[in-house]
Amino acid sequence: MAKEFKLPDLGENIESAEVVSVLIKVGDTVKKEQSIIEIETDKATIEVPSNIAGKISEVLVNEGDSVKVGQTIINVDEDGKSDEKEEAKAEAKEGKKTDGKGEREEEELSPKKEEAQSGVSEVLDFKVPDLGESIESADVINVLVKKGDSISKDESVIEIETDKATVEVPSSVEGKIVELNVKIGDKVKMGDVLLKVESSKGAVPSKEDKEKPVEKYEEQKQEDEQKEKFEEEEQSTAEKGEVEEMKPGECDDQPPILKASAPAAPSVRRIARELGVDINAVRGTGPGGRISMNDVKAHVKKLMQKPAEGFGFGIKKEALPDFSKYGKIERESMSKIREKTATHLSYAWAVTPHVTQFDQTDITEFEKDRKELSKRIEEHGAKLTVTGILIKIISEGLKKFPQFNSSIDMEKKEIIYKKYINIGVAVDTEYGLLVPVIKNVDEKNLIDISVELNSLAEKARNKKLSLEEMQGGCFTITNLGGIGGTYFTPIVNSPEVAIMGISRANYKPVYDKEGSFEPRLMLPLSISYDHRIIDGADAIRFLRWVCEALEEPLKIFM
Amino acid sequence: MPDKINLAVIGAGPGGYAAAFLAADLGMNVTLIDKEENPGGVCLYRGCIPSKALLHVAKLISETEEAKNWGIEFPKPKIHLDKLREWKNNVVNKLTGGLGTLSKQRKINFIQGTASFTESNSLLIKKENEKDQELSFDKIIIATGSKIVSIPSLELKSERLLNSNSALNLPAIPKSLLVIGGGYIGLELGSVYQALGSKVSVVEMLDGLLPGADRDLVSHLSKRLKTKFDNIMLKSKVVKMNEQKAGIQVKIESEDGNTSEITYDYVLMSIGRKPDTSGLGLENTKVKVNKRGWINVDNQMKTDDPNIFAIGDIVGEPMLAHKASHEGRVAVEVISGHKSAFEPMAIPAVVFTDPEIAWAGLTENQAKEKNIIYEVAKFPWAASGRATTLDRFDGVTKILLDPETERILGIGICGPGAGELIAEGMLAIEMGANLTDLKLTIHPHPTLSETIMEAAEVFFGQSTHIYRPKKK
Repeated sequence: MAKEFKLPDLGENIESAEVVSVLIKVGDTVKKEQSIIEIETDKATIEVPSNIAGKISEVLVNEGDSVKVGQTIINVDEDGKSDEKEEAKAEAKEGKKTDGKGEREEEELSPKKEEAQSGVSEVLDFKVPDLGESIESADVINVLVKKGDSISKDESVIEIETDKATVEVPSSVEGKIVELNVKIGDKVKMGDVLLKVESSKGAVPSKEDKEKPVEKYEEQKQEDEQKEKFEEEEQSTAEKGEVEEMKPGECDDQPPILKASAPAAPSVRRIARELGVDINAVRGTGPGGRISMNDVKAHVKKLMQKPAEGFGFGIKKEALPDFSKYGKIERESMSKIREKTATHLSYAWAVTPHVTQFDQTDITEFEKDRKELSKRIEEHGAKLTVTGILIKIISEGLKKFPQFNSSIDMEKKEIIYKKYINIGVAVDTEYGLLVPVIKNVDEKNLIDISVELNSLAEKARNKKLSLEEMQGGCFTITNLGGIGGTYFTPIVNSPEVAIMGISRANYKPVYDKEGSFEPRLMLPLSISYDHRIIDGADAIRFLRWVCEALEEPLKIFM
Repeated sequence: MPDKINLAVIGAGPGGYAAAFLAADLGMNVTLIDKEENPGGVCLYRGCIPSKALLHVAKLISETEEAKNWGIEFPKPKIHLDKLREWKNNVVNKLTGGLGTLSKQRKINFIQGTASFTESNSLLIKKENEKDQELSFDKIIIATGSKIVSIPSLELKSERLLNSNSALNLPAIPKSLLVIGGGYIGLELGSVYQALGSKVSVVEMLDGLLPGADRDLVSHLSKRLKTKFDNIMLKSKVVKMNEQKAGIQVKIESEDGNTSEITYDYVLMSIGRKPDTSGLGLENTKVKVNKRGWINVDNQMKTDDPNIFAIGDIVGEPMLAHKASHEGRVAVEVISGHKSAFEPMAIPAVVFTDPEIAWAGLTENQAKEKNIIYEVAKFPWAASGRATTLDRFDGVTKILLDPETERILGIGICGPGAGELIAEGMLAIEMGANLTDLKLTIHPHPTLSETIMEAAEVFFGQSTHIYRPKKK
């Protein structure tokens, strides 16, 4: 059986993505879980694994295409049946049916040849065809023909009622009815001879002779050849006649009568067009989603209220100057990641009243322990880093300061407290800033966290992060210490309410208890928070707690 | 106030004159150019209108014959061909003359002649017995329509070989007539001649009449035509024709390669129409023509040349008058600055045979081809009171719907008057109506229009006149 693979749900309101690369081609055999295409969404570049296996018969996307969730990406012939399509094609050529089921139907429907000389009238049987879906018999509720009638192919002969539906049964034979074996109220089953017709002058090509399948095949083949020849000639005649061959009913531009087109009256569609609204984007409130004039107006109103590009509060967009007036410039389109980062941070910046608190902590002792412990973790292929330890400390801190593990719902005027602790870590990659999230850190030990952090950072740098791995964060840590700097003011990763920035630790002269300077390794920490929900005193309490936990880890348990 | 837009419309068929008239109504300066004396085009002069006049006569003759079953017997009708032709011509002249008047009332500059582009905004207009004239315009709409297709290898210089133009002129009542092509033009004209007394045969290349239409709609027509026509040869084609004293000898080849030679009094070749861009001077413009000869346009009827629009048969299928006039109005609205577009949900098709066949929107053939999920609500006319009073049971009304929303996707009707009935289906499709809407709309009794309402009722297992309980 041929199967199709459709773009799966990508989560979090993502409806479409851009195809960055196509990793397979027609003729390839794919396995389940094998990556088919690479796509770039608003959030990340991800490889999409197949959920079907088999030989690829068709690839329906190209690099650069925008694909929607649910759109068919490839068609495959399922394992071991890769020839089926070919067979189906052959079948289609032979008869009129194109699928496997049709083939069976065809056999049942085919008239039984009783007299075969061509040019002489012959008597053909019309049998009850396969009624499908395990229906064995049906009641005849109407007989639409009578003896002596001339019937043509596809003309309805009887009406039957199965336990699923009432259907008219079309004839597969044509000719004059010489025998009618059915009346209203009869029960018929597949294969029953309903009627016999005398066909006129062998107009119906005999298609079946079960005893002689080979001959049937030959006969069929000849027929096909003739048909092909006939078509060929017809084509050339048509060419001579200067008219392009057209299949029946084929039209170049048929109106878009499809389920996908929005149900709206012509007057409504006209208004939408005048207003510059895509009617298909309007949500209809009528039955079956029918769109009224008011729906279009409401849509326009919504569009106008929506702040342009994430800026609200009456900020008007300023036009950019023409930079090229001042020198050579180059324009480059933003990557999806950059675009999303820009929109998201603008939003967070505009919506969240930010305050940043700084502090520093003495990690001289801590660093000795860390280096010692790190050796043990190295056995697992990862290092024990300041970030790794901070994840664990903050996990404890969030339990003690639950407002730091919350979100704010201004519409409902509610605060949402999370009972799980997932911590995001900002990773700098050549594609842009990515924030993988380590889930349930409170249930994990330092080794687990270090290993996971290492693998997520690696994935981020190789564009292998899944969307799931970037979702669900409660708090974010961003560590720029590897590069340098003292303090900075990170932007809260909304809808989270706080973010911790780590800068580079430096030796500084610190007074000891005896009043003399001692070189101590001091780590600068910054925490930005959403002032709507976190007060300044809470923020410094939280930050102090973190600092002290680094200085005296036993405090965590107090 | 900006200056008035100067618009030229080439071709005054149903697309061209509709465009010109609307443009004038919107305040443009309009020049309308056509070969004929008055607007009308193929539709009025050589198509829809004269054929319907003759089909009206055909139906009358056929009903007088059927009347003997109702206790009324008429003698065989005497047909005065000249008078019939004159009446048909009067119908045409009355309508085209009317259009001429309407054109004058709108102060349209109607020029009888032919036009070709010298530049994208200039036309060279050739008139009979007058000097050529070159005129420039702001915008130009091409609406030159289509022409009859013939098979050159079968061309004969014979008065006995008719096409749809000459057949409508009723040169004679042939004793026997072969119609080449089982499409709507051939069947309509074949029906006219059959009613007038000719023995009519049809030869069609494909395996059924009216290719493209759903078979269940065509079957009633096929059945009736089999009793009326002498012979319907499917999967067959004409390979040779010779004129002889007694008529045209035609060699017909059937699918199995058997040939037969039959002599017919007259032969009507009606195998289709094709776009007509010849002599338009499109090479002097940026207009692009596709491989089938149709002019490329977008959904605002704009061609690749910013000054030029095109509408009607010349931009593609379906080649129907009502499509052309709608497109014409869209083009003019766009020219006058509206954000209009040609975006119908459906275009109805009508075959004016007896019984008539009409459909709109999705057909079952298309649905199957495009894998669109649909269900059918169907009402046979045998259960219609009105059909019974007409003694016509050979009809069916069916509605294709989206099972999820019950939205109506298409309607197909076969039966006398189907062409009138389909309009309701069109409205339903355009309005995005669902099956319940049709079911709950009171239809007048006793009329054939009730079959639409009852088809909807059948779907819900609630038809008054059919007992067919819905399956759970």
